[in-house]
Amino acid sequence: MSEPTPAAVRDYWQETLAALARYPARPELEPLPLRSTPFARLFGVRLTSLGPYRLFGYLSIPAGDGPFPAIYYAPKYQSVLEIIPQGTANLQRSRYVTFSLAGRGQRNADAPYAAMFPGLLTDGLDRAASYVFRSIVADSVRGLEFLLSRPEVDPARVVVAGNDLALMTAASTPGATHVVTTPALFYKTAALALKTQAYPLEEINDYLRAYPARAESVRSTLAHFDLLRFAPRVIAATLLMAGAPGSLLDGKALQPLAAALQGQVTVYESQQSLYKDGLYAERWMAAQCGIADVQQILPQHWRD
Amino acid sequence: MPNAPADNYQSKVDKPDDFDAFWEGVLRQASAVALEPEMIPDPLRTSEDIETFQVFYTSIDHVRVAAWYCRPTRGARAPAIMLLPGYQMDPPIPKEWARKGYAALSVAPRGKLRSNRQFNPGYPNLLTHNVVDRHTYAYRGFYVDTWRGIDFLLSRPEIDPARIGVTGSSQGGGLTVTTAAMRPEVRAASAGAPYLCGFMDAVELTHTYPYEEINDYLRLHPERQAEVEDTLAYFDGISFADRITCPIIVNIGLQDNVCPPETGYALFERIAAADKRLYPYDGHGHDAGRARHTAVVDAFFARHLLGREVSR
Repeated sequence: MSEPTPAAVRDYWQETLAALARYPARPELEPLPLRSTPFARLFGVRLTSLGPYRLFGYLSIPAGDGPFPAIYYAPKYQSVLEIIPQGTANLQRSRYVTFSLAGRGQRNADAPYAAMFPGLLTDGLDRAASYVFRSIVADSVRGLEFLLSRPEVDPARVVVAGNDLALMTAASTPGATHVVTTPALFYKTAALALKTQAYPLEEINDYLRAYPARAESVRSTLAHFDLLRFAPRVIAATLLMAGAPGSLLDGKALQPLAAALQGQVTVYESQQSLYKDGLYAERWMAAQCGIADVQQILPQHWRD
Repeated sequence: MPNAPADNYQSKVDKPDDFDAFWEGVLRQASAVALEPEMIPDPLRTSEDIETFQVFYTSIDHVRVAAWYCRPTRGARAPAIMLLPGYQMDPPIPKEWARKGYAALSVAPRGKLRSNRQFNPGYPNLLTHNVVDRHTYAYRGFYVDTWRGIDFLLSRPEIDPARIGVTGSSQGGGLTVTTAAMRPEVRAASAGAPYLCGFMDAVELTHTYPYEEINDYLRLHPERQAEVEDTLAYFDGISFADRITCPIIVNIGLQDNVCPPETGYALFERIAAADKRLYPYDGHGHDAGRARHTAVVDAFFARHLLGREVSR
């Protein structure tokens, strides 16, 4: 099995998004008083994606008159769904609408499909048509569509943040004005997995050790998901969070990806400090969204 | 850069007078439950040099707990490392430790993926599940699940019972503290960015999740503050610290936005072990200097469990 042609990849994703469009989202919002504060209300959201499959997300809306800038936290590669990422100041919710989505398999979206971590990355990997991440990309797209439907959101300031899915989502549907992406799963995966023994890419190595005869089909599936295929359709300003110099996904390794993105690109190389890396991303988002007093929405231990 | 916090922070944690009696009672209840260990080979994740197993054992309240277990395919009786997970993370497959020569157990306490059939309060929620009652608080069983991991290791003939270590970061750091305190079989411990230490200090020092779950709870139920504080004092790593006697190292980030460094200092001050060392990393957050500190941890366990001095 050879590498899929660009036309084949385009058709694959067009068919996926067309199939998604056949299912209306039918969102249900339920207030969550336990996580609501004087400065933001929180809602649990259920909505339909490809399949059909019912997903879950957390929507936070600031107090006061909008519209507000928004951050969409695309599904992460973990079982737990966070309201906002661990360590983020809760006050972030006073300035941004935030929406975090559990893709199928994650907690609160784990019926009927409960994903395993590790395990999700190779579920159905030998057939592009049935690879679980085809549906998870559709889930993530559906999440952004839902967020953009909210009247509280300023459509000129919509950040999509996350791992590879952030970039894939921004490429697959209109509406993202900014992207913060930390590639981890789908950039030159077949080649880079061979250079590491660390999970999650070690899942690919485990799979190919167990099923060597499927190597060609795995490479073909992964080629449908490579970020280089998505990048030319990303016109949003993008913060590309690279690994530390010398690591598998450092700035040098990601240079072809940066070059393929169509919007303004900032490449940030990790300083191996969650404080320094996190602070950079928070300030970048705030600057892009016109939030002048970012100090007020930083964690206490990050403030000057 | 923000100013580093003062290293003489005075924690509000007040160890209850009946702390030891409470936990002895819990251990008695746990000891009445048979471990019933089960090891299932995982060929998908086994390679020439590392064997991987899915492990299950029974803990207090008869909850079945899952774990990953990796061991080198070759070699004599091995020292063991128990890895304890963060609050939101899925327990990793500990191949990396097996490659260093240890039999390694990575525990998924109740509520974690693969251990959530009988108990599943969810995330967020675990931190405040039954927080008004120490006898049913979520972490009562959660702590015991990790301690029972030591029993699993002791049940394995390939493990040298005199060379068992424990490590983890964030919640794993807090669980390292509680395990080292309660299991004398632990010969060396390394705790990173310890969570579950200074709960009621942390909810004032930071407003980030997961500790923010407690603030959420008290905002909705302010009348329960005294009960919450009473329960948490029994589960606070700072209350456990004076029971630790094994060699221990602790690393903290001075800009940690999840587990305030002040609580790390307070914990360290209370640790009873004579052989203890604190590594504070300025310019670091919840990573607690991991990139540099990994070599420190490797050398620490190599010295205490492998009997090897490693130059760094």
